[in-house]
Amino acid sequence: MTDTQRKATHASGTDSYVLFELAGATYALLSDDIQQLEMVGQPTPVPNAPSYVEGVVAVRGQVIPAVNLRARFGFPATPHDVRSRLLVIRAQGRTVGLIVDSAREFASITPDEVLPLPEGLTGLSGRYLRGIAHRGDRLMLVVDIRELLEIDANPIDTAPSETAMEPALLGAPL
Amino acid sequence: MSFWTRTPSRQPNGAAAPNGAAEMQKRRPSSVNARDAEHAAVLHAAAVMWEGSETQLRLVDGALAGATQSARSLRETASQAESVATSGEELASSANELAASIEEMTTGASSLASSIAETGASIEQTSRSIAAVAKTAAEMASAASTVASSMTEMTASVKSVSGDTDALVASVSEIAASAEETARTIESVRNNADDLAAAAEETSRSIRAMATATEQVSASSENMAGLAEQVATSIEETSRSVEGVARNAEMISRSIESAAASATELDRSMRAVATLTGETNEIARRTTRDAQEGGGAVQRSMEGLVRVRTSMAESATVVKAVGKRAEEISSIVDTINLIAERTNLLSLNASIEAARAGDAGRGFAVVAEEIRNLADRSAKATSEIASIIKGLQSVVQDAVGSTADAQRIAEESGRLGEEGAAGLKRILDGVEQSTGRIAQITRATEEQLSATQSLVTVVTAANTQVRQVSSATAEQNIVLQGLVRTTSQMRTAAHEVTQSMKAQERSSREIVGAAESSAVLASQVRRAMAEQAAVAVEVTSAIESVRRGAANTSRALAEQSVAGDLIVREADGFRRMSASVSTAMGEQASAAREIAQSSEDMRRQSDQASKGLAEQARAAADISKATGNIAKQIALITRANLEQSENANATLESLSELRRVGNRAAEEMRKTGLANALSEQARQSVPQPGHGK
Repeated sequence: MTDTQRKATHASGTDSYVLFELAGATYALLSDDIQQLEMVGQPTPVPNAPSYVEGVVAVRGQVIPAVNLRARFGFPATPHDVRSRLLVIRAQGRTVGLIVDSAREFASITPDEVLPLPEGLTGLSGRYLRGIAHRGDRLMLVVDIRELLEIDANPIDTAPSETAMEPALLGAPL
Repeated sequence: MSFWTRTPSRQPNGAAAPNGAAEMQKRRPSSVNARDAEHAAVLHAAAVMWEGSETQLRLVDGALAGATQSARSLRETASQAESVATSGEELASSANELAASIEEMTTGASSLASSIAETGASIEQTSRSIAAVAKTAAEMASAASTVASSMTEMTASVKSVSGDTDALVASVSEIAASAEETARTIESVRNNADDLAAAAEETSRSIRAMATATEQVSASSENMAGLAEQVATSIEETSRSVEGVARNAEMISRSIESAAASATELDRSMRAVATLTGETNEIARRTTRDAQEGGGAVQRSMEGLVRVRTSMAESATVVKAVGKRAEEISSIVDTINLIAERTNLLSLNASIEAARAGDAGRGFAVVAEEIRNLADRSAKATSEIASIIKGLQSVVQDAVGSTADAQRIAEESGRLGEEGAAGLKRILDGVEQSTGRIAQITRATEEQLSATQSLVTVVTAANTQVRQVSSATAEQNIVLQGLVRTTSQMRTAAHEVTQSMKAQERSSREIVGAAESSAVLASQVRRAMAEQAAVAVEVTSAIESVRRGAANTSRALAEQSVAGDLIVREADGFRRMSASVSTAMGEQASAAREIAQSSEDMRRQSDQASKGLAEQARAAADISKATGNIAKQIALITRANLEQSENANATLESLSELRRVGNRAAEEMRKTGLANALSEQARQSVPQPGHGK
């Protein structure tokens, strides 16, 4: 909420979003949170990583974890193709790569267009979403990147250990 | 009697008889005259009988000639029967040999025809001899009538002599007047009476000799009749066996006719087979042509299939090349797509940077937007191209698959075409073999046809020959029937001759008796003359004595008249005999006509035999059976022919014996020579009564 309010003041009342596709749905992510986009290469697998972490990739001289958002969101996995993208997120002092099905659009959305989530979705799903933007027939799920990153904070920020990771992973859905 | 037979050389035809006759003519005592006439009649009868014997001899000769002909034809028939037997055996063994034997049979048939001609000639000969006999009989009949008229004349003159006796009695007075002269002449009369008695004795002796000869002739005639009986029996046996031969020949002819019918049937079926074979050959030829045409078509289609396969392979190569190009295009499209995606990525990054730059990056953001739009359009185009290429690739894949299928089908068709060609080759081979077989069948059928033809010819020739044999046998039968009839007539004639001989014998004995009584009368006359001579011495009682003598003379004349009547009766008997001989001759002539009619019948029966043979031909159902029958019947014929030959030989022997006996009889008659002499005497005696006064 606070971010939204902060962004709303960013430039003449409209915010810039990068739209990406995942499992048939369109998500919107603030372009300010995105450092850059990359083609999905071959992530280097990391031992004992969570199942949604495909491995690590090198981006502009920096090694970052590549999180499969499908796996993270509980969607069935699909092989990567030429449309698959790696969204390099920089937020809260951390840089993370999110692998999505595709990301091809740039959109400007006014805060008025972002509607709050319906009451039924305020559970687990609702924690990663800030709202739903509606434009024509198209619905865009606006992602709260901090919430998303917060979930992964411990495993990623701290030294990876099974004991430390377990509560975070298990406790995330709870 | 033995006295007369022992001195046959003392014949009265010497000078003595004419002298005696001359003296008798001078004196002309009426009793002597009557006796001469009686002798002459007897002599005529003998001469006529001798002529009859000769005629009978000629008849026997004719019969002998006929029997010889018949025997010869029987021998020829026997040889033909043997050749027929050979033919039958050869017919059983094979048709070709039958043909050869038919040739022989044809030769035999021609000889048979010549024998038939000879038989006809012999019939004609017989007819001629019968005509000659008839002519002779007519002559004899006319001679007999002449004799009868002479006899009548003689009787009339005797009767006139008897009538004149009254005148003689009336002129007794004249005689008495001339008694002296008579007395003078009595002596000489007495002497002449002695001579007359001697002549009468001579005549009686001659007549006895003639009677003896007549008895011998009669015995010979009886012997001849017996022989004629034997001949008739033999000829009848021959006739029966010839009938058996005719029956067997008819059976053979029936068998052969049946064989001919079978052979004709065989020939017809052979011709049908030949026609069918020709049609089959034509069909086989057409089949060969069709198969050859089919082979050419198969060859052409196989060549076409090879071309199809080649072009299919070419098109497959082309299609594969197209597929490869499509893949290349696809990879290029992928590259383009990748470039488009990267362009999009870069434009998004540019937008992000522009957004971060705030108002300063607004123009850059627009450019980035433009670039992203272009990249999206090119991505969309490449995706369309990719889908098109994908469709193209599936089409290429289908084309490759269907080309492979077509190639496979073409190869299969080629293989099937080769199999079809091989099958056609086999069909051609089979048809060629069939054509060869058909040609063989055609040749075999033609040979069979010609063989059947020759068989038909042979059987027909055999049929003709058997028919000829049958007709020849029938003719032989007819001839033998005629011979039988002739022989029976001959037998009848011999019997009649024997009977007439016996009658002659009887009359000859009567004549002998008459002659003896003449001799007695002569001696009485001599005695009377002696008495007259004694009485004449007494002139005074001469007239009375002359009257008594005239009465005696009248009585003697009456006796002479009686004797004349007797002679007339004899002449009548002779005439009857002549008539009977003439009748016999007429019968012979009618027999000759019957023979001619028999020839006609023979011809008619020959025609009937031909018809019968036609029927026989139909009956010859089976050649093999017929051959067996023929063999058996040929054996029968051979036996019958042997019997016939034996019978014919017996007939010949009998006829020869008959002829010998007849010759002997004739010889004997000639030897006696009485006939001529007696007829001479008769000629001298008979005309005298005309000069009775």
